[in-house]
Amino acid sequence: MQENVTRAVVFTLLLCLNIRLLNGESPPGKPVIFKCSSPEKETFTCWWKPGANGGLPTNYTLTYYKEGEDTIYECPDYNTSGPNSCYFSKKFTSLWSVYIIRVYATNKMGISASDERLVDVAYIVEPNPPKNVTLEIQQPEDGKPYLWIKWVPPTLADTASGWLLLQYEVRLKHEKAVEWEIYFAGQQTNFKVLSFYPGYKYLVHVRCKPDHGLWSKWSEEHSIEIPSDLNMNDETTWIFVAILSAVICLVMVWAVAFKGYRMMTCILPPVPGPKIKGFDTRLLETGKTEEFLTAFGCQGFPPTSDCEDLLVEFLEVNDSEDQQLMPSFSKKYPGQGVKFRHPDRDNDSGHGSCDSPSLLSEKCGGPWANPRTFHIPKVIEKLENLEANITCTWDPLNISTEGKIFNFHTNGSRSSTWPLPQPSQHKPRSPYHSTAEVCKLPMGPKAALATVLDKSVKDALKFSKSIEIGGEEKAVKKMEVESFPAKTEQDTAWLLPQEKTPFIPEKTLDYVEIHKVNKDGALSLTPKQKNSIDQTEKPQASEISKEYVKVVRVTDNNILVLVPDPRAQNKEAPRSLQQNQAEKDTSCFTATPSNCRLHLGGSDYLDPASLTHSFHGQFE
Amino acid sequence: GSLLLLLLMSNLLLCKNVASQPMCPSGSSCRVSLRDLFERAIILSHYIHSLSSELSQEFDAQYSQGPEFFTQAMSMCHTASLSTPAGKEQAHQIHQKDFVILVIHLLRSWTEPLSHLIIEANHLPKAPDTLIAKAMEIQEQNQRLLEGVKKISKLVDPEIIDNGDYSVWLGLPSLQSNDLESRLFAYHNEFRCLRRDTHKVDNYLKFLKCQIAYDGSC
Repeated sequence: MQENVTRAVVFTLLLCLNIRLLNGESPPGKPVIFKCSSPEKETFTCWWKPGANGGLPTNYTLTYYKEGEDTIYECPDYNTSGPNSCYFSKKFTSLWSVYIIRVYATNKMGISASDERLVDVAYIVEPNPPKNVTLEIQQPEDGKPYLWIKWVPPTLADTASGWLLLQYEVRLKHEKAVEWEIYFAGQQTNFKVLSFYPGYKYLVHVRCKPDHGLWSKWSEEHSIEIPSDLNMNDETTWIFVAILSAVICLVMVWAVAFKGYRMMTCILPPVPGPKIKGFDTRLLETGKTEEFLTAFGCQGFPPTSDCEDLLVEFLEVNDSEDQQLMPSFSKKYPGQGVKFRHPDRDNDSGHGSCDSPSLLSEKCGGPWANPRTFHIPKVIEKLENLEANITCTWDPLNISTEGKIFNFHTNGSRSSTWPLPQPSQHKPRSPYHSTAEVCKLPMGPKAALATVLDKSVKDALKFSKSIEIGGEEKAVKKMEVESFPAKTEQDTAWLLPQEKTPFIPEKTLDYVEIHKVNKDGALSLTPKQKNSIDQTEKPQASEISKEYVKVVRVTDNNILVLVPDPRAQNKEAPRSLQQNQAEKDTSCFTATPSNCRLHLGGSDYLDPASLTHSFHGQFE
Repeated sequence: GSLLLLLLMSNLLLCKNVASQPMCPSGSSCRVSLRDLFERAIILSHYIHSLSSELSQEFDAQYSQGPEFFTQAMSMCHTASLSTPAGKEQAHQIHQKDFVILVIHLLRSWTEPLSHLIIEANHLPKAPDTLIAKAMEIQEQNQRLLEGVKKISKLVDPEIIDNGDYSVWLGLPSLQSNDLESRLFAYHNEFRCLRRDTHKVDNYLKFLKCQIAYDGSC
């Protein structure tokens, strides 16, 4: 009987439960507190999301307690912030203490509790967006127009007292643009936009953030139509620019018209060609390397150790403006013919200005310091670039030149001098040894020189200058050239006969011929008729009788005073030796060589023939 | 009788005037330098709090051993005994001189704990080099800020009395605990308290700048 009753009760209960379950009733789902924030650091609100309500009316309760306290409080205000929220007013808000908050969902079937939420109000500040956003186009009289955006802080934020510090951000774009331009505006409540396109409608948003908090939402959209006729350019600036450029144009036209030539010469000075004494370009032209090289006193190439008369010091490049070779020589010598100039002087005549009788005076800083020696700009540049160390040691046999022969590094474009075309080998081959000097060129420079010379020839430079390499009083201790970066590594690159004709002077060569020798031994030289080199070269060896003269001095009239030397039993010296000697001699001529005591390989003899030839070379 | 009354009234009026006298007695130059001092102090306090926030968050990220691991680690800060305003109204109610002294008190309370934190952190696992670097930077800037606020206090009230008070820190044994978990909890708490106190200092200084140097409206 009792069993039946029990069974009936259980059955009924189960039936009821079944019915209820069939109706969908269940305890509520778990709510979730998804956000707590404070708009002004004085109050805060928490919002939750309800779970499933189980089909029954559900009640939500929020409870909290503070850290370090035991008392549990209930939410003071469920309404102010909307449904499913709890608003904590100023009275209930304490900064810098942690709230532990929970929400309970209750219905007939049961209770569900959310997870605990820890909140420190100081860190959850998220203000409202700024208000009263206004847009204006401002057109100041003396400046460009700009778009001026102004706003005020959100209502609740108390920025005046300093309790809340807000920073703002503006974004704008025109209607058809894809991306927003975002600008940070700092703590100011206005912003000027300087770059925009007239004729478009622009959309603007503003938002704000406290110093250690979260960004607000973007404010409402505000738009402004920019008038199309807005003048974005600053007129006065353009007018000024136009006038200035007109003035500049006029000045330039005037300058070109009236002083065109002078300006051109000022800007682009004419390049006098270099002349190397003894350097007969016709030889090069004809491809006669040997003869060509012998002009430099090199006995073939590569130079052998027998080459005593390294004519480095005698290598001259004259810069006679009018390119009058022989006549100018007779007239101007020695005063003007080839004078050494101080490297820093800017005289285009190419004349040396060394007053001392010695060929290479100290004032000059060396014979090769002739600033205008090489106005082969490209050559000079190349030489400058090439940093070769050419050390020439001179046998201090009264032949001395001081200073740098190769001033490749120019201070300016002045002091470059022609490199000594004495390509003595650096390591492998024996350098030139002469009683006068030994000039050692590293391989690099030689090759570089070749290339350089090559190029200069290609450019058909004028040989209006001659380098003087006097070997007078000073001992050339070192002729230093900065080391060349070797353009070619070939030992034999130096001045090989090239297809391209090297050193083709533009002007014809003027040769000098010994006209007569008077009883005093004065040599008068006349310009020789234009002949081919071959004619002059080859016959010289056989035809010209060897008369030997000795250079005593050079008079003031630029006249060479030569005396015949009865001792002149100069043997059939090798041609190159003669050349070398001649060139050494001529180097004497070019200065006021009262002190010039030439030691030409031990003989004081001057072979007129070789002299002639050297003159050829000199005045090429 | 009436004379007494008159005296009383005048005294009351004078007292009121004295109470509302500007804080900077020597005139406009004092005001300008006060503003400069506050600007500099705020730059430092803002920077210090940013560093402290990073320090606390990085520590939690690096040493947490599970979700909500550090939730249970909450304990009282050593500066909790200091009664500090917890809202704007309370802040308005404190005298400005006392407020400045309060800030100095807070700053001074962290000098010792920071130095110990730096030393002991070397014994933490997982090479906390960046953490230590940040802590050292905080320590250095904290000293500079302390000097700056002292200068401000002299300008605010030349006769201000600084007792040299500070909150005593007793947390060293926890930092040296043998139990790693206890040690981590201790560090977490220290960094949490540091973050909070630096936020207080920053907030107070920004509030005081407007109150003192700009007469209550920035």
